[in-house]
Amino acid sequence: MGLDAHDEPRRIANRVLATLLVASLAGAVLLPFAAMAPNRLVSGESVSLLTALRAWQVLGLAALAGALALACLVRPLGERRGARLTLVAAPLALLLTLYGLGDYAQRALTDASPAARVSQGAAFWVLVFCTSLMIVDAFQRLGASLWVRSGYGLLVIAAVAALFAAGTFNALSILREYFNIEDAFVAQFVTHLTLVGLALAPTLAIGLPLGLLAHRRPATRGILFSVLNVFQTIPSIALFALLVAPLSALGDAVPWLGALGVAGIGAAPAILALILYSLLPIVRNTQAGFAGVDPATREAARGMGMTRRQILWRVEVPLALPVILSGLRIVTVQAIGLTVVAALIGAGGLGAFIFQGLGQYAIDLVLLGAVPTIALAVVADFLLQILVAVSRPAGAG
Amino acid sequence: MIELQGLTKTYGDKTVVSDISLRVERGEFSVLIGPSGCGKSTTLRMINRLIPLTQGRILLGDEDVTRLPAEQLRRRIGYAIQSIGLFPHWTVADNIAVVPNLLKWPRARIASRVDELLDLFHLDAGEFRDKYPHQLSGGQAQRVGVARALAADPEVLLMDEPFGAVDPLTREVLQNEMRRVHEQTGTTVIFVTHDMDEALKLASRIALLDAGRLVQYDRPIELLTAPAESFVSDFIGKADLGLKLLSRRWVHQYQQAATMSSEAPHHWETDAQGHPTCLHGGRPTTDVAPSVAVTDDWTATPGMTMKEALSRMVWYRVGVLPVIDDAGRLVGEVTLEGVMGRQP
Amino acid sequence: MMSALLRPERRRDALLPLLTVLLVALVLFMGRLEPLFHAAFPQLETAVYARESFWRLTLDHLVLVLVSSLISVSVGVAAGLFVTRRTGREFEPLVSALAAIGQTFPPAAVLAIVVPLAGFGFVPTIVALTLYGLLPVVQNTITGLRTVPADTLEAARGTGMSARQILWRVELPLAMRVIIAGVRVSVIINIGTATIGSTVGAQSLGTPIIAGLVGDNIAYVIQGAVLVGLLAIVSDLAFERLERRYRIGGEASA
Repeated sequence: MGLDAHDEPRRIANRVLATLLVASLAGAVLLPFAAMAPNRLVSGESVSLLTALRAWQVLGLAALAGALALACLVRPLGERRGARLTLVAAPLALLLTLYGLGDYAQRALTDASPAARVSQGAAFWVLVFCTSLMIVDAFQRLGASLWVRSGYGLLVIAAVAALFAAGTFNALSILREYFNIEDAFVAQFVTHLTLVGLALAPTLAIGLPLGLLAHRRPATRGILFSVLNVFQTIPSIALFALLVAPLSALGDAVPWLGALGVAGIGAAPAILALILYSLLPIVRNTQAGFAGVDPATREAARGMGMTRRQILWRVEVPLALPVILSGLRIVTVQAIGLTVVAALIGAGGLGAFIFQGLGQYAIDLVLLGAVPTIALAVVADFLLQILVAVSRPAGAG
Repeated sequence: MIELQGLTKTYGDKTVVSDISLRVERGEFSVLIGPSGCGKSTTLRMINRLIPLTQGRILLGDEDVTRLPAEQLRRRIGYAIQSIGLFPHWTVADNIAVVPNLLKWPRARIASRVDELLDLFHLDAGEFRDKYPHQLSGGQAQRVGVARALAADPEVLLMDEPFGAVDPLTREVLQNEMRRVHEQTGTTVIFVTHDMDEALKLASRIALLDAGRLVQYDRPIELLTAPAESFVSDFIGKADLGLKLLSRRWVHQYQQAATMSSEAPHHWETDAQGHPTCLHGGRPTTDVAPSVAVTDDWTATPGMTMKEALSRMVWYRVGVLPVIDDAGRLVGEVTLEGVMGRQP
Repeated sequence: MMSALLRPERRRDALLPLLTVLLVALVLFMGRLEPLFHAAFPQLETAVYARESFWRLTLDHLVLVLVSSLISVSVGVAAGLFVTRRTGREFEPLVSALAAIGQTFPPAAVLAIVVPLAGFGFVPTIVALTLYGLLPVVQNTITGLRTVPADTLEAARGTGMSARQILWRVELPLAMRVIIAGVRVSVIINIGTATIGSTVGAQSLGTPIIAGLVGDNIAYVIQGAVLVGLLAIVSDLAFERLERRYRIGGEASA
């Protein structure tokens, strides 16, 4: 990011932050912050940020916006101190926005009918989105390590969790929807994770040896990758649906398989489809991981008198592991997303709420399925990213 | 110690190594040399059976290597290659300990062996033991590579152009160390290179290969003075044959007593500790001062090659160099007349 | 060696026209297969989806994908270009991070989350497809332009090319293969997501699948799934061929 000699002296050190700040201010002023509706199935009346929040909350947000504006400028803070200020001000603005919404919902509903609902509006999403990006940008400017980011992320998550635990959001429409179906939600959440787990275990059991085969026998690569790529290409719902007919026939024809749960509708076609989807990244990354081992290292291992098995387990596997785990990261995130669609063939999972909600025009139910799925995918991605970092051999600079 | 008998390697109808027979005695430093594609690397890699041989026999002591399980054979033979191939996920100590670990040596013995080897290569054990390969310079990595090859006291050490990928300065240093380590350990070495200067500097015997055929297997001096066919002298290069010869000659072989008498055409002045301080006379030309202060740049040591000594004489325009010991004391001299007056 | 590497490509080259013909034939003449479906599923009253013609559904599906992909590609490439020029360089890390994080979001969840903001029907599906389709295009445009060797750019500047000439004659041609790979990913994902679009009220080849799943009519499900699966495979093969055309001489065939 070195300045070229031709660059004019600048006032704004961080144009990214400035853009995000302008976007959040514009969103906060122009878009509805919340909506108030008489019941869960109709869309409500828009409420702006200025009317929804208490005076001290508006002033607080304004002060934080001022601090962020200061963090954009070259003087008096400079880029690094500006980024540090952002890391304090942006999460505070995020938490204040969250708290303000919950607080408004509680106040608005005290005198309203029991069926009335308060839900979040576009301005709320804009503020959450922009403050999160400000944090990401600040970390990039500071060049913070994965560990620092993780610690900081945990802190912010803990703060949000504390707000949840304190009941701040209990009056919000989406949480009232949640309280209505709490047991079903927990059950479907567990189903979702179970489906992913049941698909990934066989994927690894099949994919890792296939990847090794593709590495050792280059001739198998063309056909193997072509076939697996076809599965990746076919739209998820089509693959799920295409497995319905053969599996129901199989479940009917072979009674003991049917007793095991092999049927046209339900978990069996979902898991099978997830496996077919997940194979390509695992096989490809396993092959790439082994191919990435320096031939000189392998030659030296042979020359030292290691057996094939010793070379595989002591040298090749440890060196290929980060790439293989990157493949696992891809398929885990992918499987979490595809399991949503599996709800359409009766496999359950969080997608059930999405499609149920879409069918009933119940937006809160849709969000109750979609937002946790996204959160689950992002968290899984982050955790596996950490696992990849940990698996990287200490010596690989 | 190790004997190749009629060694042949063919790929399809292409013969890469053709009927090579030679014997390497215990403690010998034997160099396989030749133009690229001459089969020298293939020959080396057949010895530890990284490449299966087509015909012939290889005897290690009196055992036929093809009768031994390949992995066990390789654990008895050290192996160092140009690309080094250090295991990037292991520390220097782990890398050196590979073969001892495979042979299930006790921990304490492995640890002390690692330190001993680091010490042998003048790498500080405390500093280097726990470093990872990517933290080493090219020269350090190659030292660790050779130390790893020596770890389990192999009966033979095979080296495949180990210094081919380092810069010329480092190569020079590594060659000197290799000579020292060979003298200290007495390990039998078979070394592949395409660099004649390297071969002359290190070898006790040189095998010159061409197109898979062994052209001549002899002591370096015979190769220089009695080439078996014109290919040998062509490969060595006739232009600097004299200098090549001097690169096999050492200062101690030409050293004579230092002249101290002021009557002589030249003589030395020393200080109280016996360090040479000044040379009077001894300069072949008259356009320079007759007396000159001795500096470290134009001294010689007994272990220096005569080629280097001669080079210093030419550069500093002196007909005589003081020979000094480790403490810098004057122990003798070598002269231009001395170089010229003897058949190298 | 070379022929061994080429062989799978050759085989796939023959597949493309074959599968295209099959797709078109099925779209036009699915009704003729009614006896076949009747024989396979005798318990069904109607064995071929008839509420809307298959060519109409295919057309709707293609419109969804084409409109969203056109917007994604033009916005995505423009964004990628902007953040790799001097004026936009500052935004590059954030845009890259956004493209990477955004792709961990499940497409179906993104589609669902657009509904409360844009309502049901064609529009939210287009919005979701466009937003999601942007990410691989932006990511690959940045990667493609980033991997143009610095020496090449230096040489181009040295010959006196203007910034515009460097972009059009050097950077874009060299980055083209990677950009097209991004468009390929984007289009394939959008073909799949457009199928799910039928659950938010956008008519597509997903419509018979959903109708079949809801009404327990496996024949409908198979008809929709086979057509959309073929459509995806044919598009993927076509893009693969396009990508290969932009492969630079010395590049490996991997």
